[in-house]
Amino acid sequence: MAKNRYDVDEEIKEKGSIKSFGMLFKYLIPQKKILIISGVLLAVDAFLSLINPYFIKIAIDDCIPNGDYKGIFILALLLLLASFGIWIVAKKRVYIKNNMAMEIIKKIRSDLYAHMQYLPFSFFDSRPHGKILVRVVNYVNTLTNVLANGLLNVIFDLFRMGIILVFMLSMNVQFTLICLAGVPVFVVALVFLRKMHKKAWDEYSQKQSSLNAYLQESLAGMKITQSFAREEINAGIFENLCEENKKKWMKAKYIATGIPRVVNILSITVSLIIYMLGYFQMKQGLIEIGLVIAFVSYVSNFWNPIIQLTDIYNEIVNCGVYLERIFDMIKEPLVIEDCEDASDMGEIEGNVTFENVSFKYEEDSPFILEKLNLDVKKGETIAIVGPTGAGKSTIINLLSRFYDINEGRLLIDGKDISKVTLNSLRRNMGIMLQDSFLFSGTIMDNIRYGKLDATDEEVIKAAKTVCAHRFISELPDGYNTVIKEGGSGLSIGQKQLIAFARTLICNPKILILDEATSSIDTETEIELQKGLESLLKGRTSFIIAHRLSTIKNSSRILYIADKNIKEQGTHEELLKLKGKYYSLYMAQYKFLEEI
Amino acid sequence: MEPLKWLWGYIKKYRLSIIIFSVLSPVFITMAFLNPLIVGRFVDEVLYNGNGERLYLYAFLILLVVLLKEVVEYVRRILLEHISQGAVKSIRTSLYNKLQKLDLYFFDRTKTGDLMSRLTMDTDAIRVLLSATSQSIINLVFYIVIGFVVLFSINPVLTVILFSVSPFILFFGYKLSKLSKPEFVKLREANSQLNTVVRENISANRVVKAYVREEYEIEKFEEKNKLYASAFMDRVRVWIKYAPPMQFFVRLINVLFVLIGGISVARGYMTIGQFTTFNGSLWCITTPMNLVVDVINQYQQFVASSIKIIALEKEEPKIVNRNVKKRDTGVSGKIQFKNVTLTLGDTRIIKNMNFTVEPGQTLGIIGPTGSGKSMIINLLSRFYDPTTGAVYIDDINLKNIDIATIRRNVSCAMQDVFLFSDTVFNNIAYGEPNVTFDDVVRVAKMADAHEFIEKLEDGYDTIIGERGMGLSGGQRQRISLARALLKNPAILVLDDTTSALDMETEFAIQENLKNTHKTKIIVAHRISSVKNADLILVLNQGNIIEWGTHERLLKANGYYKSVFEHQFGDFNKFRGYHIKHPGTIGLMEKRKNTGGENNG
Repeated sequence: MAKNRYDVDEEIKEKGSIKSFGMLFKYLIPQKKILIISGVLLAVDAFLSLINPYFIKIAIDDCIPNGDYKGIFILALLLLLASFGIWIVAKKRVYIKNNMAMEIIKKIRSDLYAHMQYLPFSFFDSRPHGKILVRVVNYVNTLTNVLANGLLNVIFDLFRMGIILVFMLSMNVQFTLICLAGVPVFVVALVFLRKMHKKAWDEYSQKQSSLNAYLQESLAGMKITQSFAREEINAGIFENLCEENKKKWMKAKYIATGIPRVVNILSITVSLIIYMLGYFQMKQGLIEIGLVIAFVSYVSNFWNPIIQLTDIYNEIVNCGVYLERIFDMIKEPLVIEDCEDASDMGEIEGNVTFENVSFKYEEDSPFILEKLNLDVKKGETIAIVGPTGAGKSTIINLLSRFYDINEGRLLIDGKDISKVTLNSLRRNMGIMLQDSFLFSGTIMDNIRYGKLDATDEEVIKAAKTVCAHRFISELPDGYNTVIKEGGSGLSIGQKQLIAFARTLICNPKILILDEATSSIDTETEIELQKGLESLLKGRTSFIIAHRLSTIKNSSRILYIADKNIKEQGTHEELLKLKGKYYSLYMAQYKFLEEI
Repeated sequence: MEPLKWLWGYIKKYRLSIIIFSVLSPVFITMAFLNPLIVGRFVDEVLYNGNGERLYLYAFLILLVVLLKEVVEYVRRILLEHISQGAVKSIRTSLYNKLQKLDLYFFDRTKTGDLMSRLTMDTDAIRVLLSATSQSIINLVFYIVIGFVVLFSINPVLTVILFSVSPFILFFGYKLSKLSKPEFVKLREANSQLNTVVRENISANRVVKAYVREEYEIEKFEEKNKLYASAFMDRVRVWIKYAPPMQFFVRLINVLFVLIGGISVARGYMTIGQFTTFNGSLWCITTPMNLVVDVINQYQQFVASSIKIIALEKEEPKIVNRNVKKRDTGVSGKIQFKNVTLTLGDTRIIKNMNFTVEPGQTLGIIGPTGSGKSMIINLLSRFYDPTTGAVYIDDINLKNIDIATIRRNVSCAMQDVFLFSDTVFNNIAYGEPNVTFDDVVRVAKMADAHEFIEKLEDGYDTIIGERGMGLSGGQRQRISLARALLKNPAILVLDDTTSALDMETEFAIQENLKNTHKTKIIVAHRISSVKNADLILVLNQGNIIEWGTHERLLKANGYYKSVFEHQFGDFNKFRGYHIKHPGTIGLMEKRKNTGGENNG
């Protein structure tokens, strides 16, 4: 997938609003009962609103000239009842249509969000997070009005047009055809404009997404911006993005505003032609004046729904663009998913085997690891060292199945990890990643994230094991201290300790620590080591660390370079070997030699 | 501040557009009224009276009026779009600039999701007010006024009687307006919460997967998803409680008209012609009145949103330029902390701290996690001001130096590496966007990053994920270091910048930095990182507990010594052995028993 910057437009894999609306249809089906009720209520509402002019016509034609007081009273009473009726119907109708819209919105958002949970790292790494956010929140919100009003109104308006058409046909076929002749003109104009129209909204939503992405990253990186005194440049970029937004919006609006105007002109033109034709035919004595007058009123009744449709049409085109992006994400392949007959892994012992494992990130990129073989017995502590970018993290990412291997097999307790459910696989593992992301919430909740049903005591015990208890207790609210977004307010070392406790509390059979303690001070580390020793017993663990003191006591150390394991053995064995590990180990004394 | 008055500040520069709009509006409305009149005359004269010679004249007039009406309407709408987009743009940029000026005191207590809502959802409410609501209001007023005048001229008594229901309409309108305001506040809060939870989830995507918490995250999200939907429905509930009765009373005007008007005609107080004309003009009032509910809704949404925006505009940073004595001049790099204490909330983070670093010297800072090391850096970059005491650069109190000058001269590679989703090149050139490629390569080499960058897919043009995801910790640290070096600052700060690097790399970087004549501050956990510093501070709980050079501190036999012992305790033994018996590793067996020692 092409990587993306805030100002690079996103590619939509499958274009086409029709398809998107097709997918939207799926969400409408469960609501069909509500849709029908809404439709009926809409019809009742429209009917009650229409009787007003009709009653007034009766009043003028019949009751008033005859001084029929009773008739006037009855008409007034009926009108009053109709108004009450509208009150009641509107109450019900507005509620259920909005409720339905919200149900659909909720469902679409749920599906989108749930799908997002299982998308691979690469999805998140390859685009600014603001661009994902805008799809889940803003785009979905924008659908509300079309869902609540648009779709039903379209159906209703089309229905109205059909009925009027029948009336018109029964009155005069020739005039009807003239009236309809305006429709192809309108349709052609619409089809011609549609592409431009959609393109304009498309461009706008791209810019909107860029603006969001830039804004979100600006806020997250504000400290960097301020410390590099780059505010002015950023202000320029942001203003530029706003300007582009404005331009694209205006472009879309030039078209969107124009369409109803054209329809209005078209409608009047058609009426005028019928008037003129009517006049000539009247002169020839072919038709009566009453017919012409009545027909013209139908003509405007016929065009009214079209005018309303163009209003909605604009919104629908706009929504089509958003739907494309929403469904594009729902259709985004998961990459890593359970195979068809995936079984539950159950409780594991912790034997890990790599069999000729090869891996590359993308089809056309070079291998990161090639034909790697490794056999780890349960309870072993495996340390992984090697130069940056050699694939240390890759090994544990493969084991946790964050990526799928390209060749070979990866087994835990003899079971191929691609044949078991992801959930059961990772449940057995405690994985502590390089970035110790903390959620906004209390420290207690953050540690408990590793085991949702952990008691307070368990949380405190885990914190004590990783030597986090002391600093947590010193905080004003202790374990109930609320951590701000992204863990700001704590030092990196403190964040690492909390993340460490979070990993330990789930009591995993396989423990994976990727640079887990890089920012922890030496004193804490000594204590931590003691606690860990007992903790690592009986667990298989994989540790990546640059502090060699952290890994020296491992049962085996792997030196990773050139896509494979270059050296392996215990600390002593590797030092004897006088190879890569030896020089790595010696490097830390090099500067002391210089004294 | 009155929201409309505030908004005026943003749209007054569009005076000309507003004037044109104001002139065009009556033209449009006149055309809208004229159109049916001409058609009516056409029907009367041409069709009924057979006045054929006027046929083309009327046809021409009708077309002309329609064309004029639609063209005017087009221009009018585009003008409003233009004004509203301009205003939204100005508001957004003004907010963005405000945010860039605000300090960590502000960001520490504000959620990003909420700020995002203000710059997107809230500004959109303003766009709706300016582009749609304003037009509705103008049309409403024109229609109602014209309608009223026409009706009054036909039959003043009937008009007054019919509009006696107005108080009811006003009552429900007022209720709707008053009660929907808090609902909008609730809705935007729900949206902001939804924003926050989704945003956090996206950032935490790795952690979520590592702990298999997908379902838990979905549950957490569903709560907010439902909250938003229910806030939306609460708003709808207020609407259906007050809007339908309001519309009912508008319809009641029609009912009263049929009843009273009908009786008047039957009694002879009014002609049937007047009745028909009255009826024909009544819609000018009733139709617009029905639209009032939409206007109320949009206006309340605008008020709820503008309050939030105004609040942000009113935020004032505590860190500001005041009594600036030094600006844009070279800094030699002397640093001095005099009796510095920093209290945040109830916690004293730095306690009465004193030290001096001469230009070109290196200061090392070491100490346990959370001892206040990074806070010294924050004070030096003036992200916080000391509660008491003062920080000096070149003997000038930081408070008297232009903030941008401070930050241009104090360059930090921060502990919490933040990279932007942009190319490697642009990330390194973040502080100085106009540098050459060679400059970037030069600093990348100094940070020992050049080699791995070259190996990336597109080299320096490789786009990296937000926060540098997809790179290893060590790679991120080195890019961040290169970024700090590029500024060519007088004071270079490395805040635990090499923790994720292996010793060999760190050593190489230290060598590269040795010859730069800058004041350096190195915050680290490894003795090797700070050993050569001219002054090393050992911090604990906001106090300097030990200070001096490496040798002095070793002699002092305190915290520093114990850290050294842990990291290199067996070094002398080891070196001795190493020299005596080069090539043999026999000692290692012995060392195994001492365990847990060495390096950091």
